[in-house]
Amino acid sequence: MPVVSMQVNGQTVRAAVEGRTLLVQFLRETLSLTGTHVGCDTTQCGCCTVHLDGAAVKSCTVLALSCEGAAVTTIEGLASERGLHPMQAAFREHHALQCGFCTPGMVMSALAIVSRCGPDLDQATIRRELEGNLCRCTGYHNIVKAVQAGAAAMKEADRP
Amino acid sequence: MDEIATDSRIGQPVRRKEDERLLTGKGCFSDDVNLPEQAYAVFVRSPHAHARIRSIDARAARAIAGVLAVLTGEELLADGLKPLPHVPFSMHPAEIRLANRDGTPLFSAPHYPLACDKVRFVGEALAVVVAASVAIAKDGAEQVAVDYEVLPAVVDTLAAAEPDAPRIWEHATSNVCLDADAGDRAATEAAFARAVHVVRFSTQVNRVTGVTMEPRAAVAQYDAARQRYTLYAGSGGAVRLKDDLATVLDIPAAQVRAVMRDIGGNFGTRGMIYPEFCVVAWAARRVGRPVKWTCERQEAFLADYQARDLAVQAELALDAQGNFLALRSSNVGNAGAHPTNFSPLQKGVEIMSSIYRMPCAFVRARAVLSNTSPTRPYRSAGRPEVMYVLERLIDLAARECDFDRIALRERNLLRQAELPYTNPFGMVYDSGDYHGAMAKALELGDWAGFPARREQARRRGKYRGIGVANYVDTASGVPRERAEISVHPQGRVSVVVGTVSNGQGHETSFAQLVNEWLGVALERVDIIAGDTDIVKVGGGTHSGRGMRLISIVVLNASRQIIDKGKRIAARLLESDPSRVRFDAGRFEVAEGGRAVTLFEVAAAAERLGDLPEDLRGPLTAFSDETVKEASFPYGAHVCEVEIDPELGAVEIVRYAAVDDAGRAVNPMIIHGQTHGGIVQGVGQALYENCYYDPRSGQLLAGSFMDYTMPRADHFPPFDTHISEVPSTTHPLGMRPAGEGGTTPALAVVINAIVDALAELGVRHVEMPATPERIWRAMRAAAGTASGNSSTPMPQAQ
Ligand code: FES
Ligand code: FES
Repeated sequence: MPVVSMQVNGQTVRAAVEGRTLLVQFLRETLSLTGTHVGCDTTQCGCCTVHLDGAAVKSCTVLALSCEGAAVTTIEGLASERGLHPMQAAFREHHALQCGFCTPGMVMSALAIVSRCGPDLDQATIRRELEGNLCRCTGYHNIVKAVQAGAAAMKEADRP
Repeated sequence: MDEIATDSRIGQPVRRKEDERLLTGKGCFSDDVNLPEQAYAVFVRSPHAHARIRSIDARAARAIAGVLAVLTGEELLADGLKPLPHVPFSMHPAEIRLANRDGTPLFSAPHYPLACDKVRFVGEALAVVVAASVAIAKDGAEQVAVDYEVLPAVVDTLAAAEPDAPRIWEHATSNVCLDADAGDRAATEAAFARAVHVVRFSTQVNRVTGVTMEPRAAVAQYDAARQRYTLYAGSGGAVRLKDDLATVLDIPAAQVRAVMRDIGGNFGTRGMIYPEFCVVAWAARRVGRPVKWTCERQEAFLADYQARDLAVQAELALDAQGNFLALRSSNVGNAGAHPTNFSPLQKGVEIMSSIYRMPCAFVRARAVLSNTSPTRPYRSAGRPEVMYVLERLIDLAARECDFDRIALRERNLLRQAELPYTNPFGMVYDSGDYHGAMAKALELGDWAGFPARREQARRRGKYRGIGVANYVDTASGVPRERAEISVHPQGRVSVVVGTVSNGQGHETSFAQLVNEWLGVALERVDIIAGDTDIVKVGGGTHSGRGMRLISIVVLNASRQIIDKGKRIAARLLESDPSRVRFDAGRFEVAEGGRAVTLFEVAAAAERLGDLPEDLRGPLTAFSDETVKEASFPYGAHVCEVEIDPELGAVEIVRYAAVDDAGRAVNPMIIHGQTHGGIVQGVGQALYENCYYDPRSGQLLAGSFMDYTMPRADHFPPFDTHISEVPSTTHPLGMRPAGEGGTTPALAVVINAIVDALAELGVRHVEMPATPERIWRAMRAAAGTASGNSSTPMPQAQ
């Protein structure tokens, strides 16, 4: 089996994988990083969103082998000793999660929205930009509020 | 003990305890559980809607390296597995019973975890391949050769009810498996005979499915030495799952343990045992290794229980002033391939007259089998459908008989002084301010300002409409629930409950109860659920029973803790129990100011060997209650839409909701429940549809590519308001708040759409009101009116 190595949440990892192994399988099964979820088989729910070299990708549609040398950030890589990332904190503060299954993907997408569109986000932009992420519980209302507040808090903290 | 967090009491929007775990990827969902040496299951599913299984040849599959077993219905029967134990009706004492009008017993048919004789819907599982990896199991499943004798199929609700429709179960005389009457037929007929106005409405309420974002998953283990199964799988409740699995495996319940941690949504469709759960447990014993199965989304669309799917023909009789005289209806529910659950039909019939004064009513309620996935309760089972029918009838009555739709509702809506009120089906609405809820919703939705907004929309070339709908819910479910509270001297309180959280935030809201009554900080409270080695009794989470019942048993158990604590504290404080008072986590002697904390008392109980027998040892108490009263949450929603005449596309531009929670424990969570509920309701009204091809019986909406899910950009921000008129049938005044968001949403959206298009002569648009349907309705109405068929554009007035 071919071997792949990449940086995941700042740590170098190296493992043998089958050619067909998806990045999400590599994260969940090989690395036991189960915070990244699988909610569909057609690349539409966004539960599996992670950052690949800084851009949001749906890890169910990326082959692990294609990530050779790349830097991957998952939901497990956001919080620091200082506590939750401002976006995570905003999700808690605004009750932007219920069952929590879509949440890791939502947070990773939210951060990508901030890097694509900047921290001064209006609600219409957030709603449009969230179109690749499904949530069945929250009705999106509080997610939109949280993304807006989280972006503002990131600007405040200057911690993009 | 440290300071009491008074901001965590009942009524406070406390931030959730579970969130840190879920936000950092440390949740434990079903597919996150892995057991050493586990093998993987993949199911062989029927490609046909209806076929006899002539034979299954698994030799090629078994020959694949890494395939451990291929199991079919034949082995399942040989091993003595039993059918799934479905409970077709809600047996809650407050609810009506439906029985066949001709007195024949209810039809039943065995629902085996693997199809044995015939497959009855596309996607029904008939064999399982267990292998060393998912990939090998999939390869194996492809090699299982099934010889099918394909049979004619029927999927449509009314078509399936025809006497000559293909028969799903051969021992039935027709596909109609329940044919019941409810209400007073003679009185209803007499009322219709003297009515000045009669309004008629027929509709087919679309079939939808729960679409929990977490697909189902299960891993099971069999301990041969102890002859004991452990099943890890998310569901609606652990105790029920354990009991049901034991029934299927035909073993004592003590030989099963069911465990669930985080559950990524339920909404009812995931509320009970599934065939696959039974099969992985059985397979684990057969192969001698743990067996895991993770559902893929396409399998979920095929084989998750589905919901709604109700054909209704209804009539409303009114007098000259607009007073409702009677309601008459035929409701035909599509049960799918197995007669599993008729409670949506039952729950819809019994409150079909809603919270209006309705002197009499009569409903013929039928359930029909078809070649589709079985249906089950889904968020607010049965009520959104009938609220939609009644609220459509009221809007039609207003338009066709020239009444104002608000005045017509106000005239007939029950007044507070009329409660308790027994509706024509015998349901007793206890309490509520129905007029207040509607008035508040109209205010939030700025009903008065609508004409100006419509005029502006016209100038932009859009049709704008507004709608209102009142609703009532019936919260019932399993009446028995239990809580056991333990105070640990180390400074923690644990509460074992028989419900599970599917996203409702029980770890927080139940802890708020403990904070309120025992004065213990939220961080020190552990809510323990979802493991039958710890939880012995409990009905699970459904039908608005979580907070409604848990609040009662936690209150009772807290009182016992305080009573015991006072007696122990009296000993420590050298006083008499009657002089000890408990406040904010401390026992104190009224006049002296000397005090001991709850945790010091718990330590003393364990330490002092000479306490009376009932006080010695761990400080614990339990309450096990059977609550016979149902609850009737209610409210009103107002929705405003704009329609693009060229595309038929609907935009929801405003949405206001008033929902009565009686007494809100955590308003933040309740608002969240309402938001999610609204979106599920609007999803059904505008987007979602489990569409089966009527000829082939194939499910054509089998992925997110074809089953339209509500997304963030489909909605405006919502304006939700919690009303708190205490319920008179709950000791703390609470009403459930989890389903109200959905219940009126179907009605209010379609009412708004029809209002927007009414000037064109559009009388109704069926759900889901897709752009195509709206566009066609507009063209058809315009064609009838003017003889030309171009799409009409709004004219500024
Ligand atoms: S799992 Fe659904 S988009 Fe990746
Ligand atoms: S919180 Fe449950 S799916 Fe989003």
